[in-house]
Amino acid sequence: MKTTAGSLESSDCLITISSSDNLKITIESVVFEQFGDQIKEVIINTLKENNIENINVVCLDKGALDYTIKSRLETAIKRMGERNE
Amino acid sequence: MSRSYLFIPGNTPSMIQNLDVFDSDAIIIDFEDSVNTFDKDSARILIKNFLTKYSYDEVDIYIRINSTDSTDFYSDVNETNDLDITGYVLPKASVEAIKQLNRITDKSIIPIIESPLSLLKTEDICKQKNVVALLFGAEDYTKELGIKRSLEAKEILYARSIIAITANAYNIDAIDTPYTLKEDDKGLFIDAVNARNLGFTSKSSIHPNQVVIINKVFSPSLEEITEAKRIIKKSEETKKGAFSLDGKMIDLPIIEKAKKVLEKAKKYNL
Repeated sequence: MKTTAGSLESSDCLITISSSDNLKITIESVVFEQFGDQIKEVIINTLKENNIENINVVCLDKGALDYTIKSRLETAIKRMGERNE
Repeated sequence: MSRSYLFIPGNTPSMIQNLDVFDSDAIIIDFEDSVNTFDKDSARILIKNFLTKYSYDEVDIYIRINSTDSTDFYSDVNETNDLDITGYVLPKASVEAIKQLNRITDKSIIPIIESPLSLLKTEDICKQKNVVALLFGAEDYTKELGIKRSLEAKEILYARSIIAITANAYNIDAIDTPYTLKEDDKGLFIDAVNARNLGFTSKSSIHPNQVVIINKVFSPSLEEITEAKRIIKKSEETKKGAFSLDGKMIDLPIIEKAKKVLEKAKKYNL
């Protein structure tokens, strides 16, 4: 199962998550050199806040700030939860 | 007492994180028309995280929620009610809809008058708790009447007059409908001046480029400020309820109006 949130517009990011037996995070970003580690940290912290350990996260970033990355990931997680209901 | 209200889409980070650079006195974050049905949840989460992280003292922030007949109405309010926002803009306003909103929030409410029925109920709407302004939505209003909008705006003159008069009678702000031609500065200026001359205290917009003109039109001019200062000075000197200034009779309503002009001038450093 796969869910997405966000967009590829400037200052946004498109997050796709899918079920997985382990944690896998893939980041493609226009600012990966400068902010790749920070983006990964936001993703890991958001997953922790939602008590998720094993999942596949793909983040296509277009210069999103932390709050946007967190929001898009939270939306994708919420949508996955709703589909499972 | 804001001069300008700028709508920005609730699910667009590039606009949201720049909300304080547009020079609009108030921002209306939109959860309604500018957000696709499937992305309403996304907008609520985005705004919640944004306003939890950042705060703004210089600009009033409102959220235009979905109407009470939408399935998103309760989520829009419940998921944002704890945020540091000034209040809610309520589409498709009615007395019952405002009561419904008042049951779940204590925040300020700006109802949108956008149907013939809501226009007829304008006074009752003004009397409701937490209503701080009326916003005219001419696009939906003319759509319901089945008439076309024109640049002269004669077809909305009656509705504009009722809204401006009623809001002023209840001492709340009257916010005019947006001018939809975003490249037409001259047309915007004329439209805003017409609204101001009917008694509107402010105007909404859908494009940041319109804010400068709107702020200019709804700011008191230097002449108005000078006149207001003279009225207040003479009022304090004479200590009378009514007096003459330059051969013109000045009484309480004019003194109150002068106070408002000075209040506005002070607020916007004019």
